[in-house]
Amino acid sequence: MSSARKSAELARQLFALTLDQGRLAPERVAAVLQWVEKHRPDNASAVLRALKRLVEAEVARSQAVIEYAGEVSPAVFAEVTATLSRHYGRPLESVPVARPELIAGLRVRVGCDIYENTVVSQLAALKPVS
Amino acid sequence: MSTVLEQIEQQIARLQAGTVKKNVGTIRAIADGVALCDGLSEAKYNEMIEFPGGVMGIALNLAEDDVGCVVLGDVSKLKQGDEVKTTGRLLSVPVGKALLGRVVDTLGNPVDGKGPIDAKEYYPVERIAPGIIVRKSVSQPLFTGIMAIDSMIPIGRGQRELIIGDRGTGKTTIAVDTIINQAKINRVGLASGDKNFRPVYSIYVAVGQKNSNIVRTIGALEAAGALEFTIIVAAPAADNPANQYLAPYSGAAMGEWFMENGMDALIIYDDLSKHAVAYRQISLVLKRPSGREAYPGDVFYLHSRLLERAARLEGKGSLTALPIIETLAGDVSAYIPTNVISITDGQIFLETDLFNQGVRPAVSVGLSVSRVGSAAQIKATKQVGGKLKGELAQFRELAAFAQFGSDLDAKTKAQLDRGSRIVELFKQPAGNPIPIEQQAATLWAMQKGYYDALPLGKVNAAAVSLREFFVTRKDALLTAIRTKAALDADIESQLKTACDEWKSTFNA
Ligand SMILES: Nc1ncnc2c1ncn2[C@@H]1O[C@H](COP(=O)(O)OP(=O)(O)O)[C@@H](O)[C@H]1O
Ligand SMILES: [Mg+2]
Repeated sequence: MSSARKSAELARQLFALTLDQGRLAPERVAAVLQWVEKHRPDNASAVLRALKRLVEAEVARSQAVIEYAGEVSPAVFAEVTATLSRHYGRPLESVPVARPELIAGLRVRVGCDIYENTVVSQLAALKPVS
Repeated sequence: MSTVLEQIEQQIARLQAGTVKKNVGTIRAIADGVALCDGLSEAKYNEMIEFPGGVMGIALNLAEDDVGCVVLGDVSKLKQGDEVKTTGRLLSVPVGKALLGRVVDTLGNPVDGKGPIDAKEYYPVERIAPGIIVRKSVSQPLFTGIMAIDSMIPIGRGQRELIIGDRGTGKTTIAVDTIINQAKINRVGLASGDKNFRPVYSIYVAVGQKNSNIVRTIGALEAAGALEFTIIVAAPAADNPANQYLAPYSGAAMGEWFMENGMDALIIYDDLSKHAVAYRQISLVLKRPSGREAYPGDVFYLHSRLLERAARLEGKGSLTALPIIETLAGDVSAYIPTNVISITDGQIFLETDLFNQGVRPAVSVGLSVSRVGSAAQIKATKQVGGKLKGELAQFRELAAFAQFGSDLDAKTKAQLDRGSRIVELFKQPAGNPIPIEQQAATLWAMQKGYYDALPLGKVNAAAVSLREFFVTRKDALLTAIRTKAALDADIESQLKTACDEWKSTFNA
């Protein structure tokens, strides 16, 4: 196996250890980092980079990042998050982020999926195709 | 005034309705036209991936935590961290008659400066080949206009016949002549007003060739008036490997449109050796395991799924494929040649030795076969050329022996003499396909011994003069041969009269 593939494999194994019942557990992440610090596997930095990507992806999967513009009531955030939690079959954390440049509307991101209904995106869609 | 307001209201309603979902990722690394992307959790195999700036890519490797995409187009503006998104679409190209006479790239964009192409339909580039039930056996001829091929290695519509040989043995020339011949036949057929006439449209896919060669081919087609029946798909050597890899599939999609709409088409892949090399390059960059000659394990499938798309369909049209393979030092047992030989319905093998001896087209009769074409050969050609292949193969054997012994018996000498006359007869310059009825007349005269008294060096000139004589003086007879497609007693007696007349005018 190439060294790149070995690091990726090890990162995946470490990542599996950071999960507690399918959810990222901060104390476990800390334990894994300690283990890496102590044992210094080959290519430790590559392993950690790969681990970081996996953790990042996992964090993104467990959050509904709701970007919004204008006045949006907390009830809306709660409802959006609840709907998406049902859709994905896992509890999502609601992370509202104000983004005035969207002009109006919502853009919600869960993992790699983006649901968007904002004035900017629609203006972009209106642009004549070149 | 109110209508304006209504319009605006409608527009608002439309805008409010649209929540758009997309699946995104980011570029982690990009090199050699291949982008490794994080995210893209919903990407499907062969799906189009959109990069910033409208650049498109195709997802080819779906790994556990990343997606390998080949980028079609300019990679120079892409960088690490750029957002990419899935499109939910498979790569499609424009298809239809609007493409005839045009030169396009792998994506079907015009590259000939003749303006945009008004295509009404798009077909996916990758398509499952027709199954067994919808296929019909090959039974209609496709004339190449090359006498050695039409008489001895006949090709039928829907067939896949490989053209194989070293560099510079005339492979491209045979393919281009075949396209030119289709154009000639189309002109005559369409002008005749025959309702049953089925034109053949051609697609020439140039993969990994020098631009100068492509320009030369286009020039040859244009000069012969064949461009208007032809689509040229160009993925030159300077193009990125992804485009070279996909170009044959794009061409196949364009050909399938004709087939699906009840028409006949011919597609040339020039050549699949370079296609395999482009695919090998992509596979190596994608870090797929490599096998024999460093090709990836699925290189057989690369060509089988392409060539299986050539077919003749029940109740529809046909797609005939002439793939080209370039060998090194005549080695047909290398990996790619053996693969493609086993996928096709026969091969036209061109030999450097013959080419250098001046036997052009340099078709090696012994090593060339057509496994299904004889069912499609017209009766007239069978009548005059039925035994030629055997005779020629025997001649080559005898000729090899004759080099050793000087005293040959009379029978062997006669056989050798006849063989060398046939070889002379089959010599044919590039860019000069011969209509099938003229071929029949030429071979009929051979069979009846009209060239026997001539010195060997004059045989070919005599055949040329005979054909000229027929074209200028016996047009009705040629038309009769073409429409009847067989030589009956009446035609044979007319042929005799005509040949006698010609002989009296021809002085060697
Ligand atoms: N039948 C022929 N008679 C005379 N010259 C030919 C003939 N066929 C090919 N040639 C010449 O041989 C050269 C190589 O032909 P080409 O078709 O490009 O070969 P390939 O595609 O096998 O590399 C060209 O210059 C072409 O004009
Ligand atoms: Mg060539």
